[in-house]
Amino acid sequence: MTRYRVSIDIGGTFTDLVVHDEEERRSFTGKVLSTPDDPARGVITGLEDLIEDPTDISFLVHGTTVGLNAFLERRGARVLLITTEGFRDVYAIARGDRKKLFALQYRKPEPLIPLQDIHTVRERMLYDGMVEESIREEDFDPIVEKVRDEGIDSVAVCFLHAYVNPEHELRAREILRKRVPRLSVTLSHEVAREWREYERASSAVLNAYIAPTVERYLKNLEGQLEERGVGARLHVMQSNGGVMTASAARDLPIQTLLSGPVGGTIGGGALSEALGRPNLLCVDMGGTSFDASLIVEGQPTVSTEVELEGLPVLMSLVDIHTVGAGGGSLAYLEAGALRVGPRSAGADPGPACYARGGTQPTVTDANLLLGRMDPKYFLGGGMDLDARAAEQAVSGVARELDLPTEELAEGILRIINAKMAEAMRTITVEQGIDPREYTLVAFGGAGPMHAVALARELEIGEVIVPPAPGTFSAWGMLQTDIRHDMTQTFYQPMDPSISGELESIYSKLEEEAQEVLRDEGVPSERMHLVRTADMRYVGQEYFVNVELPQNGKLTGEKLDELTERFHAAYKTRYGHSTPGAPVEFVNLRVAALGELERNVAGFKPPAGDEAPVHSTREVIFEGKTLPTRIFRRAELPAGAWMAGPLVIEEDTATTVVPPGWGARVDELGNVIIEREGS
Amino acid sequence: MAEIRTDPVTTEIIRNLFLSCAQDMNATMIRSAYTPIIYEGKDCSVALLDENGDVLGQSSGLPIFLGNLEVCVKLTIEQFGREVFEPGDVFYMNDPYLQGTHLNDSTIFAPIFYGDELVGFSATRAHWLDVGAKDPGTPMDSTEIYQEGFRWGPTKIYSHYEQREDVVDLLRRNGRFGYSLIGDMNSQVSACFTGEERFKVIADRFGVDAIRAASGEIFRQSAQLDREAVAALPDGTYTAEGCLDNDGVGDEPVWVRVRVDISGEEMTIDLEGTSEAAAGPVNCGMAQTISAARVAYKLLINPDRPVDGGTFPTLTVRVPEGSILHAKEPAPCGWYFTPLGLLIDLIVKALSPVMPDKAAGAHYGDSMVIYLAGMDPRRDNAPFLALEPTPGGWGAFESGDGQDGLINNVNGGFKDIPVEVYETKYPVRIGCYGFRPDSGGPGRSRGGCGLFREYRLQTGCSLYLWFERSRTPAWGLEGGRDARGPEVVVRSDGSERSMLKVNNLPLKAGDVVITYTGGGGGYGNPLERNPELVRRDVISGYVTREGAARDYGVVFTDGLEVDAEATARKREKLAKEGSS
Repeated sequence: MTRYRVSIDIGGTFTDLVVHDEEERRSFTGKVLSTPDDPARGVITGLEDLIEDPTDISFLVHGTTVGLNAFLERRGARVLLITTEGFRDVYAIARGDRKKLFALQYRKPEPLIPLQDIHTVRERMLYDGMVEESIREEDFDPIVEKVRDEGIDSVAVCFLHAYVNPEHELRAREILRKRVPRLSVTLSHEVAREWREYERASSAVLNAYIAPTVERYLKNLEGQLEERGVGARLHVMQSNGGVMTASAARDLPIQTLLSGPVGGTIGGGALSEALGRPNLLCVDMGGTSFDASLIVEGQPTVSTEVELEGLPVLMSLVDIHTVGAGGGSLAYLEAGALRVGPRSAGADPGPACYARGGTQPTVTDANLLLGRMDPKYFLGGGMDLDARAAEQAVSGVARELDLPTEELAEGILRIINAKMAEAMRTITVEQGIDPREYTLVAFGGAGPMHAVALARELEIGEVIVPPAPGTFSAWGMLQTDIRHDMTQTFYQPMDPSISGELESIYSKLEEEAQEVLRDEGVPSERMHLVRTADMRYVGQEYFVNVELPQNGKLTGEKLDELTERFHAAYKTRYGHSTPGAPVEFVNLRVAALGELERNVAGFKPPAGDEAPVHSTREVIFEGKTLPTRIFRRAELPAGAWMAGPLVIEEDTATTVVPPGWGARVDELGNVIIEREGS
Repeated sequence: MAEIRTDPVTTEIIRNLFLSCAQDMNATMIRSAYTPIIYEGKDCSVALLDENGDVLGQSSGLPIFLGNLEVCVKLTIEQFGREVFEPGDVFYMNDPYLQGTHLNDSTIFAPIFYGDELVGFSATRAHWLDVGAKDPGTPMDSTEIYQEGFRWGPTKIYSHYEQREDVVDLLRRNGRFGYSLIGDMNSQVSACFTGEERFKVIADRFGVDAIRAASGEIFRQSAQLDREAVAALPDGTYTAEGCLDNDGVGDEPVWVRVRVDISGEEMTIDLEGTSEAAAGPVNCGMAQTISAARVAYKLLINPDRPVDGGTFPTLTVRVPEGSILHAKEPAPCGWYFTPLGLLIDLIVKALSPVMPDKAAGAHYGDSMVIYLAGMDPRRDNAPFLALEPTPGGWGAFESGDGQDGLINNVNGGFKDIPVEVYETKYPVRIGCYGFRPDSGGPGRSRGGCGLFREYRLQTGCSLYLWFERSRTPAWGLEGGRDARGPEVVVRSDGSERSMLKVNNLPLKAGDVVITYTGGGGGYGNPLERNPELVRRDVISGYVTREGAARDYGVVFTDGLEVDAEATARKREKLAKEGSS
């Protein structure tokens, strides 16, 4: 019997679980404390709470922050980097730029390895892939000796122009593995087949840095699951929004880096399809950070490069824009001006109302003071909040500014909302996207409380709060496909005569992709391949990613169509284009998808016609104290319209609907909030 | 309904909106620009200005473009009156005597109307690779501005959102790379329109009156912060001086002299004593000199607060008439920024005794530009121009070593050109690239190291070099020593020559050029540096074993462990020699 599809989002504080019962066709959720010393323990506890017989699990996916945390806390492995002779310092030069303009005592971002752990060997590849100097085994002698003597278990290799011809990198691995069989070896061209040696080395080093940690973690988790009789293959959420098997993740651990947060965006993609709304702006607001991402025409937007703590990483990843804004963001004064965030009270001491010693006001304190939260129903009543402490904290700052306390509380919310709105603007307006054509999807513990205010800032007319918003990221992981991204740098001018060469490169990338999917057990009728190209005007650096016309082999005609698509995409993005100007390719890409089951209809609302009012309390909206109806989410039937002001409470979140807006629940259990009269 | 009021909350929201508006403009420009000097060199900046031309928000890739876009708008208002502006206008100008900088720098700005009312301006600046000078790019031996390219005062290039085809055609025909010049122009125009759109959205929400009230309050806050910081400095007069190697044409040093007077809240920077206008292209328009003085000020006074119309409330800059820093027609200005890098370092040096925790030793000093121009046989002999500034070492400071291999102070977000990109784009092979040992100034905190880079030519082409600061290499502070200056070696026909500046030197396939940039100055007595740190520097290759003994008095065993006894003896001996 296999009836359960299970997803698990392992966060710093909580491990969230979503189970879909295929027999009963319904979903349910769970939340247990995370166990950072051995994350598998929390997972097993959570599973045992929800599922009687682990052999009933048919599919298991999880998102992990193990790799990301090892990186952020600098607890990764000691890595040796091997590079081309004459270029040892490239990784430390880090391209020589200053990220702050006015800093006499500037420091470069802290690299993951010091210069003394970078070694060179004689070898040289030219820009066109020709070998100028061959690689020699004896050059590895001192490196192997150091690896053995100093007990190093991870090595990264990055040679010049390896993205064109990887022969020397492959040979390096052969030599190293032959002599130190259990060594973890990362080759730069396998992490990113793109030019720019510093960025590629940085990506390879990061992969090597987290590899042993991720490997150990996955092995342990797989072992424990097997012991409990879970026969289903373990899958891992990837930064690119797809999933992969745990064994593929062990080959390329860097792909798990944003494994946690992408779940929410992918959930947005599933909602988009189920609700027939192609364009969504997804926002996830928790205690310390706010993540914003987009679904455009049903798909998440994906970038090909990111900077983490100042260090560049070349890989496909869902665009998630993060700013320091959350329930725990602190309000304080500086030069007579009011600031809110990015400083945060964190989980400890937390907001003043947690009564754990915090005295500075936070966003959560402001919300509580304005009546938007019920101090007796936090975490479904699992924790009492101290309303007096919240008021004391806010009024302290209010006195200094000579403002009434309630006015300051609303001011704190306006500033934090404006900040989050800026993050949303960064990924929309700045990219030439009009947010007014989007629906806002709000989740995370604090998201539904701020959602309507954020929608107003960007003049968005509709807001969706999905079922169980506190575990929405985990839910999203059940709504995705297996995905692998293949890339080849191809620096050539656009010309109809190269269609044959392009076709053969794309075919080769597709063959590689299909092989990986086959290894993961995807049958060929479930494989789906998408070709895209990074293109730009000749002379430019930044490029635009354009999808190729599908169906059949590439021809000169199809390349003309591709050129047109490029001009159009460029114009959309920058407001101008230069039709007729020469265009060139930079990278060719293939996204390989293996389709999986999805279950978006697991949270059916109860039957009924009317929404029962649970209670009434006073809430402050724009200076006015209004009697406000309080609803319990689990009691709301589909279709009943509720006019604001109102508050909807559930275990892990509170949805606030101000006057002028109203809400209803749809057939899938989503709360749909709209402007009245729209 | 728009709210008409200002309160701390609205003000803070509007302040953040102005900044993000400027960031949007900058992103639009950089991402759609056509030439690497903009998208890699970040040789550009943008500003959102109010209707008087005062800065509401700005974003800059290049620190020295700080706060002189407003000059261009203000002088256009002065010259033509406000009536000249209509919705959908865009202006272009590049005259160095008006805007400062050089002819390559294109200033493009647009008025912003809200309804019928002129409410502000969006302004941009970017470096255009070629503006029709006698040689490609920016000639190094020009003696009159007329050799450096076309020169335009404020000129309307768009009217009612339509390009003035005849005017733009004039631009296109006068540069060597007309097609990319127009691409770069478009990216600037597009950034101006982005600024206009964003400003209108802010005005829709808050109303123009609230924006004015808020900007008044924002300026007040900035001014207050600055006044407090300057008042905290002890009153007095502080001086420093240094020289450039030459003006690119002659061989006489070119002096920059700085006197800073602090009196209560007032700071005056007086450049009396700076060399007379030079025959070569190291002259600089006054507008840009003032900007550079402001950069130095900003490095020391509230560096984290963004610049707006309230910043620099009590700063006066006096630039003597007839000096290189107050250029008048027909003085050539192509390399205007070389004296500015020195000027910034000198202001920091002058004030270092009263701000020891904020100061640092001098940095390597200039952009150290190498470019190679020719035809690429791999691409049907298409012309190429491979232009690179080169990073070097920065000064050490009380609490830390100077950074190794970092771009100079007049540049900012610049990134070096990756070897893989360089070799693919240009017919040149890079032989090696790394830190230049012993180039950082010795000190208790070590000055940062410069870099070396080897270019092996695969085809004949012309070499242009602009390397500076060998006569005034980066100085140390508080007993820290000076760094090594720059050097360039050219190997051609089996002979080897050293040079720092050269214009249009023909080289052949197989010739080799090696550039070495200088380091940054040290801080504190090098004999007091922790020997273990010196050991780490030797292992890392920043300092040689010989350098460790010579400069730091640190002696190692064969196994590269610190020999404590020998080190103590060596340090004693060096200390005696130093004091005698």
